[in-house]
Amino acid sequence: MGNEYKVQVNHLTKKFGNLLVLDDISFHVKENEFLCIVGPTGCGKTTFLNSLSKLYDITAGEILINGMPVDLKKHNVAYIFQEYSNMPWLTIRQNVEFGLRIKHRPEAEIREQTDYFLDMVGLTKFQDYYPDQLSASMLQRAAIARAFAVKPELLLMDEPYGQLDIELRFRLEDELIRLWREVGTTVIFITHNIEEAVYLSNRILVLTNKPTKIKEEIHNDLPRPRNIADPAFVELRRKVTDLIKWW
Amino acid sequence: MKKKIDVTRIIMGILAVVLFLCLWTLSTREGTTLGKLMPGPGEVFKRLLKMTHTNIGSLTIFGHMLNSLRRVLVGFFLASVCGILLGLGMGWNRKCEAILRPLFELIRPIPPLAWISLAIVWFGLGEGGKYFIIFVSGFANVTINVYSGAKAVDPEVIGAARMLGCPKHRIFTSVVLPSSIPYIFTGLQIAISSSWAAVVAAEMVRSTNGIGWMITAGQNINDMEQILAGIIVIGVVGFLLTTIMRGIEARLCAWSRV
Repeated sequence: MGNEYKVQVNHLTKKFGNLLVLDDISFHVKENEFLCIVGPTGCGKTTFLNSLSKLYDITAGEILINGMPVDLKKHNVAYIFQEYSNMPWLTIRQNVEFGLRIKHRPEAEIREQTDYFLDMVGLTKFQDYYPDQLSASMLQRAAIARAFAVKPELLLMDEPYGQLDIELRFRLEDELIRLWREVGTTVIFITHNIEEAVYLSNRILVLTNKPTKIKEEIHNDLPRPRNIADPAFVELRRKVTDLIKWW
Repeated sequence: MKKKIDVTRIIMGILAVVLFLCLWTLSTREGTTLGKLMPGPGEVFKRLLKMTHTNIGSLTIFGHMLNSLRRVLVGFFLASVCGILLGLGMGWNRKCEAILRPLFELIRPIPPLAWISLAIVWFGLGEGGKYFIIFVSGFANVTINVYSGAKAVDPEVIGAARMLGCPKHRIFTSVVLPSSIPYIFTGLQIAISSSWAAVVAAEMVRSTNGIGWMITAGQNINDMEQILAGIIVIGVVGFLLTTIMRGIEARLCAWSRV
């Protein structure tokens, strides 16, 4: 087993009491890949990511990053949640700095990185505001800036745009693609929105209903920038939709 | 984020106080039953002024006030330190919660005055017993608020910090502590008011000075003006203390009230 894979998930199983939620899941993610995970509502997508990020203890199996068991203090992983997880007592700038400070980066780097990513998500003007003073999309952009600022080798996203309106979602999706290409990180993105998955991903994992297994793996080689009205795009979206509907 | 001073609000507040004083004057005017039993505001304020330069017992009104204030601050300070430590400890550490919570819940409902005899046995009739009574009156309030604050930290935020590689002790200092600060202040606010209330009770236990003593002494010689003067001083000083606390809170927790 070399380090050809960024993330290796082997026989991941998670039970809550007697309830089997994740049933022996295995998959690998390559360096710099953009993997989307889709599945029906309540199929345990979030449990999946929480196990992956070690917020939950897993019942059986293993998760390796660069061939080593996940250790959040060693591995540079960032996570963007469904809910806005900014610290309300810090300004937007301090929120973006938070991860860098935790990792004891030098002051000059903290300043530089924070400036860069605040600018990239368009929040430079709002950096001294507190989260309560900003709109939902701004908060989610701040969370994205915070995640990218630590230059994560792995970025986990759990329906980050689920609560935003369509226009904002499109804009933030494009922003995410741009950041992903510039920073060159590996992304695992969970969503129930099929169009979003087809738009963003290199590869899509379709999950089954509980107990969750991987139903199918779809490679997505559509050229970028993608057009949601393109026949190939529509065809792929239909294919994924059918997979989710079918049982 | 400059706060505008709301003029109408201040005027209404002053009007309410003036109206209260008018009612007091009216209801204690010559010929009323209440007027025979208690003095009007004019007499009380005249007496208050006189107290600033003549002794009541051994001290002027300022001397009594400072003595009470010292007792309140010592007791309140001890209660705050212990309450914050215990509250954070129980809110953050499961073992600490399992061990101390039942004890705390047993002690919490006991009213401060019920401790008086024990306070005398343990700390004597001097200052120690008084500090203890004030401590007891503030301690439970601080603890319960800090505890619920440390428990109420948004799990999303803790998760985010953990994901960014935050070690456990830093989650405490960078997440739990700052997000508990508004709760800590709520606890301190309640505690400072109840400490100020308890000082009167504490000073009823054999003392020779303090506002509480002044009131008790007034009662013994049936001097209503002295009692009311003491009550007014307690009200005003209590108000000033909470205002100062609010100011500190507004500075430290700008984020929670924007």
